[in-house]
Amino acid sequence: MNEVNTKHVYPEDPSKTYGLMELVKGTKPTVGLQPDDMVFTWPHLLVRELTLFVVVVAVLLVLAFLFNAPLEELANPNHPPNPAKAPWYFLGLQELVSYSAVIGGVMIPTLIVLGLALVPFVDRKRTGIGVWFAKERSLANGLFLTFLILMLVLIIVGMFFRGPNWGFVIPWESAQ
Amino acid sequence: MNDSTQNARPAPRNRLAEFGNHIYRSLFRYGRVPQDAEGQSYAVFNSLFLHIHPVKVSRHSLRFGYTLGLGVIATALFLVLTFTGIWLMFYYFPSASEAYNRMLDLRSAVDFGFVLRNVHKWGAELMVLVVILHMARVFFTGAYKPPREFNWLVGILLLLLTLGLSFTGYLLPWDQLAFWAITVGTSIAGYAPVLGPPLRRFLLGGDVVGQEALVRFYVLHVVILPGLLSIFLAVHFWRIRKDGGLSHPDDNDIPPKGGGR
Amino acid sequence: MKKTNVRMQQPGMDRRTFLTALGLGGVGVSALIAAVGNLLYLKPAVDYGPPTVIRAGRPGEYKEGIKEVLEDQRVVIVRDKKGFAAISITCTHLGCTVGTSDAGFECPCHGSQYDNDGFVTGGPAPRPLDWYQVSIAPNGELEIDKSVKVPPGTFFKA
Repeated sequence: MNEVNTKHVYPEDPSKTYGLMELVKGTKPTVGLQPDDMVFTWPHLLVRELTLFVVVVAVLLVLAFLFNAPLEELANPNHPPNPAKAPWYFLGLQELVSYSAVIGGVMIPTLIVLGLALVPFVDRKRTGIGVWFAKERSLANGLFLTFLILMLVLIIVGMFFRGPNWGFVIPWESAQ
Repeated sequence: MNDSTQNARPAPRNRLAEFGNHIYRSLFRYGRVPQDAEGQSYAVFNSLFLHIHPVKVSRHSLRFGYTLGLGVIATALFLVLTFTGIWLMFYYFPSASEAYNRMLDLRSAVDFGFVLRNVHKWGAELMVLVVILHMARVFFTGAYKPPREFNWLVGILLLLLTLGLSFTGYLLPWDQLAFWAITVGTSIAGYAPVLGPPLRRFLLGGDVVGQEALVRFYVLHVVILPGLLSIFLAVHFWRIRKDGGLSHPDDNDIPPKGGGR
Repeated sequence: MKKTNVRMQQPGMDRRTFLTALGLGGVGVSALIAAVGNLLYLKPAVDYGPPTVIRAGRPGEYKEGIKEVLEDQRVVIVRDKKGFAAISITCTHLGCTVGTSDAGFECPCHGSQYDNDGFVTGGPAPRPLDWYQVSIAPNGELEIDKSVKVPPGTFFKA
């Protein structure tokens, strides 16, 4: 680390009640920030965290009193439900598996995880950080949004548009 | 420090008050609700539970519109799930003949059993959703860029652990939904070349979903996966601080080698 | 510093490096053995599931052309002109239990279809239904060993 001119950053002044405590490695000099950009964790951050926590608990309690968690009959290996569905977040996978088990069930998920892991190593440019949908990053954001929508569509199809024998059904028609 | 604390509190008038004050001080070292900047600093970095936070944070990272609070919500859900999960363990039995009965008991016989079960269930579904949304937030704000690559990887691991926790928990009620969802899910795992079939056998403790699978999923669900998740959650929080707090527009256009990293 | 310089000039490994390597190697090998041990511990060794060898009554109880489903065993006993066969009713796609249909077997979960011999005729199933070994037990009953798979089309003549 380069020599830091501590005298400049923290001028020695006997009337000051603070001193230089430590040097921390970092990517940006904190001195560059305007002093009023920073606020105390207590109370600003803690109040927000506690509020969110209370809201989460409240929402869960309301959900718990309004809707019962599903419970079907006792497990019976001889009578599979028609159709048998995986948990909702795996329904996209199951939809893919219904086309091809190896490609849809193994290769695509592996590629998704690998692709996600590689994201920060492929997209290294330090622009568009800290803002939603930065213009400089429209390609990356567009690709990721497409990916999310694709997953969502697969899950919705698996959830609502698949009936007996994993055949295609229209949910509002089959209800009659 | 001594000066200010003595200024903040009047000197005790008698021995009893002094004794009480001594006990109070040993428990709550820095007095009551902090009033000044010094107190606010000590409140954070002298507390085991609060010191994962820095003393000061940037206004930008507090903007709800920026983070949508998704990380905090996911953490809150994990805490609620841990609490309700431990509570449910008092009644649950990982046995193919008993598990379903315990579900019925929780629903009808045990006081507030249905609340705990429902909160655990809906909390789990929400946690999967919120963790995915959190990942989307991080992507759309470019928050995975250097120096935060490593924390993005930890985040992916946390997402996988969350899915694993949800999936292993899915089997435990031992109803039709549970049984067939796990049968289908583990069959998908069995398709992986070379590693698939042995992995499936490891998970199920046999070739079919049965008593052995229930015990294995139970141990994974209540011990191994939550333990791993806690460890990597700690790493995740630690990296946020080491990487200079939440991502910030000031992070743009800094040369990658800058700042002695 | 001088001492190390002298050491560095000697050919080959010096004693300290050698011992360090030996020590680290020992720890590494022990860790590997421990890891393998733990994995082997978790590997299902005892099968606590239902027995793999089942008895299915006397051959004479089955008429020709019959498909008798033994639900709890997840197997169907087939008798035709060529003899007896025991076919698994576990779908090879994602493990659901298949039902019998006029054309053979049909999986309710994801629509895989099989003919009477368990060969795939439709749907996502990747391979035919498993065929198990059939033999006659000493007491004259049919004996099915679900741990031994035989090629589809292998009939047992009683």
